[in-house]
Amino acid sequence: MSAVEQIASIPDSADRGGVRFLSEAGPFWRLLIRGTGLVLVTLGVYRFWLVTDIRRFLWGHTEIAGDVIEYLGTARELLFGFLMAIAVMAPIDVAFVLAALDLGRLGRICGVLGLVMLLVLGQFAVYRARRYRLTRTLFRGLKFYQTGSSWRYAASAVLWWTLIVLTLGLAYPWARASLERYKMHHTFYGDLQGRFDGSGTRLFIRGFPLWLLIVAPTLASLMVTVHAVDWAGVAETVNHGDGDVLGGIEGANPGFAAAILSVLLAATWAVVAAAILYPAFQALVLRWWLSGLRFGAIAATSRLRAGSLYSVYTRFLGQALVLAFVIGIMAAVLFFLIKVVSQAFGLGETAETLATVTAFALYVVAALGYSTLYQVGVRLRLWRLGLESVELVGLGALNGVKAAEQTSSALGEGLADALHVGGY
Amino acid sequence: MSTSGPGIFLDGQTSARQAVHVAVDDTGLVARGEEGQIVVRWRFDAVQRLPAPPGLLRFAHRDHGVPARLEIRDAALTAVIDAIIAPAGRPGDGRHRRAALFGILAVVVMLGGTLAALPTIADGLSSLLPSAADQKLGEVIDHQVRSMLERSPSAQPAECGTAAGEKSGRAALDTLVDRLAAAAGLPVSVAVVRRDDANALALPGGRIYVFQGLIGRAETPDELAAVIAHEIGHVAHRDGTRSVVRAAGLSFVFGVALGDFVGGSAVIIAARTLLQSAYSREVETAADAYSVALMRRLGGNARALAGILERVSNGIEPAMKILIDHPETRIRVAAIEATAGPPGGTALLGAAEWTMLKRICSGSKVEP
Repeated sequence: MSAVEQIASIPDSADRGGVRFLSEAGPFWRLLIRGTGLVLVTLGVYRFWLVTDIRRFLWGHTEIAGDVIEYLGTARELLFGFLMAIAVMAPIDVAFVLAALDLGRLGRICGVLGLVMLLVLGQFAVYRARRYRLTRTLFRGLKFYQTGSSWRYAASAVLWWTLIVLTLGLAYPWARASLERYKMHHTFYGDLQGRFDGSGTRLFIRGFPLWLLIVAPTLASLMVTVHAVDWAGVAETVNHGDGDVLGGIEGANPGFAAAILSVLLAATWAVVAAAILYPAFQALVLRWWLSGLRFGAIAATSRLRAGSLYSVYTRFLGQALVLAFVIGIMAAVLFFLIKVVSQAFGLGETAETLATVTAFALYVVAALGYSTLYQVGVRLRLWRLGLESVELVGLGALNGVKAAEQTSSALGEGLADALHVGGY
Repeated sequence: MSTSGPGIFLDGQTSARQAVHVAVDDTGLVARGEEGQIVVRWRFDAVQRLPAPPGLLRFAHRDHGVPARLEIRDAALTAVIDAIIAPAGRPGDGRHRRAALFGILAVVVMLGGTLAALPTIADGLSSLLPSAADQKLGEVIDHQVRSMLERSPSAQPAECGTAAGEKSGRAALDTLVDRLAAAAGLPVSVAVVRRDDANALALPGGRIYVFQGLIGRAETPDELAAVIAHEIGHVAHRDGTRSVVRAAGLSFVFGVALGDFVGGSAVIIAARTLLQSAYSREVETAADAYSVALMRRLGGNARALAGILERVSNGIEPAMKILIDHPETRIRVAAIEATAGPPGGTALLGAAEWTMLKRICSGSKVEP
């Protein structure tokens, strides 16, 4: 059965529906390879066109309950948004320069102010950029839009993230739930208001075992070390001991070296465990987030499985290894050739220049290769997996939604780009 | 051949899907409702075919205020319309070529504009900074420079001219520096450090370090004086502060404005390094000219700078000329000789004092 018939066969009155992605990776590869090449030769200016193409592709192949959504944004809007953002960023940059010159109190104030401004602006940009994308998303002839105050969102996001850092990540579920509630509460599809029903406590209960596996060994060994070691004695030895400081500490505190070693081992474990458990965490959060999305009577549920995310990442790692191998061989062949040619023709400094340029070119090829591989292998596949895991109910509400839209400038997108916090 | 078939009309005002019967005639598309009433009649010249997945035709009307859409999924009707309105553009069509051209043009303008305007803007900004900023910046850098110099394995202090046997050398140097500083009208302080490189450096605010190696290689007092005058030139032009502001400007242009893309950082760093070297070469040329002018004002040998430059560089030129931050010695020497006037002049220091100055790093041991 072809996609055409499948689309046509979905009855209008169906209350349930799914989400599908209607393309294979092939066209996306072509789009990305051409686009990244152009981004490279234009030193990045082409990125506004590439981002627009990527979104047009992702949106334009996403079918929600039988209707393909449409991305209406243009590269020109992104470019103007970016130019506006530059005008906003310039004074902050000047503040940083003044701070770098270390001009006493004024400089320090500028530095702190600049940093706070950057943090707040980053979150401001995230909210504004979301508004831009929503107002450029068309579904069944109607656009989405977003109200709410970007500054309020930015302030609460910065406060939540501070709390997350202070609690070693334990506050994340509630932070995420609160921020998603704010976003969805201010999101509209036509006159249909969105809301977020995900519970922070539920995410915490699900995620806590993962957190425990990663952080607990480090915390425990740190606590044991703090209690086992006579710190006043250590300080004494460090301050007054001459020569063999470590020997002196070990002498006064049997087991000091073992305690430090256990902390290091636990920290290594934390890094390894975090890397291994990341896909499981990502699947958990994505499933929880998707299952919390509501528009009026329309509700989403997701059956995303951690296993499918693991297969995405394993495949990406495999492809990345192959790419590394290919680039390694290319490098070996090229450098060998340069060596042979320079010896044959007696090129001294020119060969050195040639080698530098070759190394530089190989680095650029490798970096662009990995970014393209990641876009196709991880981002596109995650987009697809996330979407296709969704089941929608209450679609009957779609028959009577009326247009009630606001437009939005692309300033947020520009800021997000300038601050490196951009998303899709 | 069917020229009509089922379609869906979305009016852009509600989310309802309206089942319509679409007919194609010579002038455009006509969509009729269930009772045969005309829902829309869209002429081909005002119809826009939008990109859509295979199997779906999607049309918009150019002049519609709301995003109304007409969708056709009927295969037979699709084939008929395909022959009339070509599928929408794909990446790589004219729009993309224009965008790419525009991007390249923007980069050229931006690089050119940066190269031309950034020094002016940065210098304007630096001139707004009070000279206290130079002092402050100089102190910060001085702290780092000192901690670097004092890491030398020698048991002697890093700075020359402190031991008993070095005091007379220090006095001779002071005589020389006082004459230069008075002529320049700038408060500078010169320290000689125990390093073998033939080099000297100036910090913002007037601190100048001369390396022992340079004094060793200098054959006349005017050669040493000319190098110090070159460094005073950096201080007078506030090059340290200006270069910090310029570097900040460059990181703004290249870090924020250009290149938020993976793998781009290498390209960006390369472009930035090239510009930075270009600025630096400009600054060195200006300091050379300052040195020549100052030496002429003192009646010394204005060509001395060329002499010591040639001796120190020893005829070696680096391979990647575009990356070095000083102009080629050959070019510098030519420029100095073009402005230095006739050879000659009276040495800025007497022979006896020069001999003492040469011993400024001799340590406590007394020459036989």
